[in-house]
Amino acid sequence: MPEEKADVVGDASDDSMATFALLDETHTLGNAVRFLLNGNNNVDFCGYSVPHPSDHVVHVRVQTTGEISAKQALIDAGNQLVDVCDALESSFDVALAQAPPPTST
Amino acid sequence: MAYPPPPGMGMMPMGGPHPMAAAGHHHQGVGSLGIPHKFQRKPKLTLRDMRDDYCEFELKNTDTSVANALRRTMIGEVPTIAIDLVDVEVNTSVLNDEFIAHRMGLIPLKSDFAVKMQTVYEAASGSNENNENYSAQSPTELTFKLHKRCESSQTAGIDVTSNDIEWDQAADGLDPNEVDVKPTTLAKLDESGNPEKGILIVKLRPGQEVKLTCIARKGIGKDHAKWSPVATAVFTFVPDIRIDQALMDTLTEDQRRAWIASCPTQVFELDPTTRRVIVKDPEAYTYDGECIKKAAEMGVPGLVEITPRSDDFVFRVETTGALPPATVVVWALETIEEKLKGTQEDIKKLIM
Repeated sequence: MPEEKADVVGDASDDSMATFALLDETHTLGNAVRFLLNGNNNVDFCGYSVPHPSDHVVHVRVQTTGEISAKQALIDAGNQLVDVCDALESSFDVALAQAPPPTST
Repeated sequence: MAYPPPPGMGMMPMGGPHPMAAAGHHHQGVGSLGIPHKFQRKPKLTLRDMRDDYCEFELKNTDTSVANALRRTMIGEVPTIAIDLVDVEVNTSVLNDEFIAHRMGLIPLKSDFAVKMQTVYEAASGSNENNENYSAQSPTELTFKLHKRCESSQTAGIDVTSNDIEWDQAADGLDPNEVDVKPTTLAKLDESGNPEKGILIVKLRPGQEVKLTCIARKGIGKDHAKWSPVATAVFTFVPDIRIDQALMDTLTEDQRRAWIASCPTQVFELDPTTRRVIVKDPEAYTYDGECIKKAAEMGVPGLVEITPRSDDFVFRVETTGALPPATVVVWALETIEEKLKGTQEDIKKLIM
């Protein structure tokens, strides 16, 4: 079985706030997820960090207004990023189909 | 005008020294629903140029973090195939074994077949169990051979190039119609699709010989740059250039010309009819700040205000030849989705 890719760091008694550890991830995902979380009106604070460059982990801190759980906010942000990628992929495909065939340089 | 690079945007693919990057909202355009453009789920992509080894596109209505995720993924996480292990049987050339092994690794191999291969990590962990592209038979290795000898009659010496590398079908037992992995270059191709002139590996003098068996594996640029499908993958911020025309009107035409000439790239021009300074090509601006410095020198600071737009990017992607640029972009987007799906599943499982 593959290893788990997510974990909670520190206190998780209040579900409106948590620090998530995304294992084997980098700034690539951390910063994009952070951005989308900040677009969520129910999120009070969100930040990410790579605690140590030698550890392959990203910490994402989420604090919500209490309307939704921190976990749900993170899941929503992930889904939104999937949507963004889907939208980009389909518009890239459309652009490719309309473009003239590639020319050699 | 200097602007701070966003986190994770150093020159190195894996750069990014920002300890804790919290939110910095600076809304630009606001969409019909009152949601800032860059928070909407539908970014806009327009293709500007597409060639065999290069593509250029504009990405709008999204944030630097998303653009940067795409850039970083193209550089470091799109899989390709590269030689990873070299067995040296004979090497009487002037270059030592490890020197040649390193050069072999850097040769780009046509990598569309990478979708059907597994990395050694994937094969070991069995993480591809549910992936339709893979099966138990998905290869992790491809064998290539290189054997070249300079005969004593070849007094001028010979070149050993990437064209001398041959796939050893017998060793791998794969269908040759399916496996289209071969050394590639961006050089002109002959009628059979092979580069006319391969990449030089080593030169041999009479009597010298190299005989190698190479194992090529699937990998990603994060592990070693030889697996990166791109030579360059960069994005630039489209600048928002605003000229203070009231202030500009206080300048003589000669002063205006001098100011236009101060910009090292052709960003501004004099409108032939109105004699006003207009922005000719905002994208030509290289954020050098020369025109701002010149305006201050001329005693008119604030003549122009230039800010990088944080929701409009121009991407330029140049490949090594391992994958076509369109494939690099599409696989990068798919890679991000795959990563997300993996983490999403595990986040949902978290007990809180």
